[in-house]
Amino acid sequence: MARGEVRNNIRRLRFENGEMTQQQLADKAGVTRQTIIAIEASKYAPSLTLAFKIAKAFDVPIGEVFQYQQDSL
Amino acid sequence: MNKTQKSAWFGLVATLAFLLLSLFLFIEIAILKKMLLPMNLLGATLLFGLGVASVIFICKKQSPIEVETDERDKLIQTRAIVVSFISVGLLLALTCLILRFVIGISGTITVWEFTLINFFVFYVALLVYSVAVLIQYGRGGGDGKG
Repeated sequence: MARGEVRNNIRRLRFENGEMTQQQLADKAGVTRQTIIAIEASKYAPSLTLAFKIAKAFDVPIGEVFQYQQDSL
Repeated sequence: MNKTQKSAWFGLVATLAFLLLSLFLFIEIAILKKMLLPMNLLGATLLFGLGVASVIFICKKQSPIEVETDERDKLIQTRAIVVSFISVGLLLALTCLILRFVIGISGTITVWEFTLINFFVFYVALLVYSVAVLIQYGRGGGDGKG
C-alpha cells in the first residue's frame, strides 16, 4: 500500500522573496498565520484553492511550491 | 494564536471556572449551610473581570488584515463539534442509565436537579469542544479538501 505526503518549499520561497514573514504570506493567501506554520511544517496539506493562492503569492507555478511524494509502506 | 484557538482556551478556562464555582457553592450550601457573601462578591467580580479581559484578548488581531477563520479552522471546528455532539449523546445516555438504577424506572427528580443536569451536560460539551480544538491545533489539524 502506498502512502503520500505533500512536501513544500514555502520556507525557502519566503526567504527568496525578501524574507517575507509568515504573517505577510498569511495575509496574501487569506489565511491565519497558524495555517501557514502548519503547512510549512508539513503538518497540514492545504486545499487545492489555498495551494494556488500560496503559489500566486510567490508568483510561481504551484509545482514549485508543493510536491507530492509517495512513500511505500 | 488565532480567534478559534483563543475561543477554545476561553471555553476551557470558563468551564473549569464554572466547575470550581459549582464546587464552592456546593460546599457553602451543603457543608457550611450558609452563604459567604463577601467571598461570593469577590468571586463574581473576579469572574466578570476575567470575562471582559478574555473578550478583549479574543477580539485583538495580530495583523489588521488578518482573517478570523480559514479552511483549517473550519475543519478543526467541524471535527470538534462532532466529538462534542457524541460526548453529549453518551453523557445523556449515561445519565439516564444512572438515574434508572438510582431512582428506579418510575422515580422522579426535582426541577432544579433536572436543570443542573442540563447545565452540567452543556458545560461538559463545551469542555470537550475546547479540548478537541486545542488537541487538533497541536497535531496539525488534518488535511484540506477540494
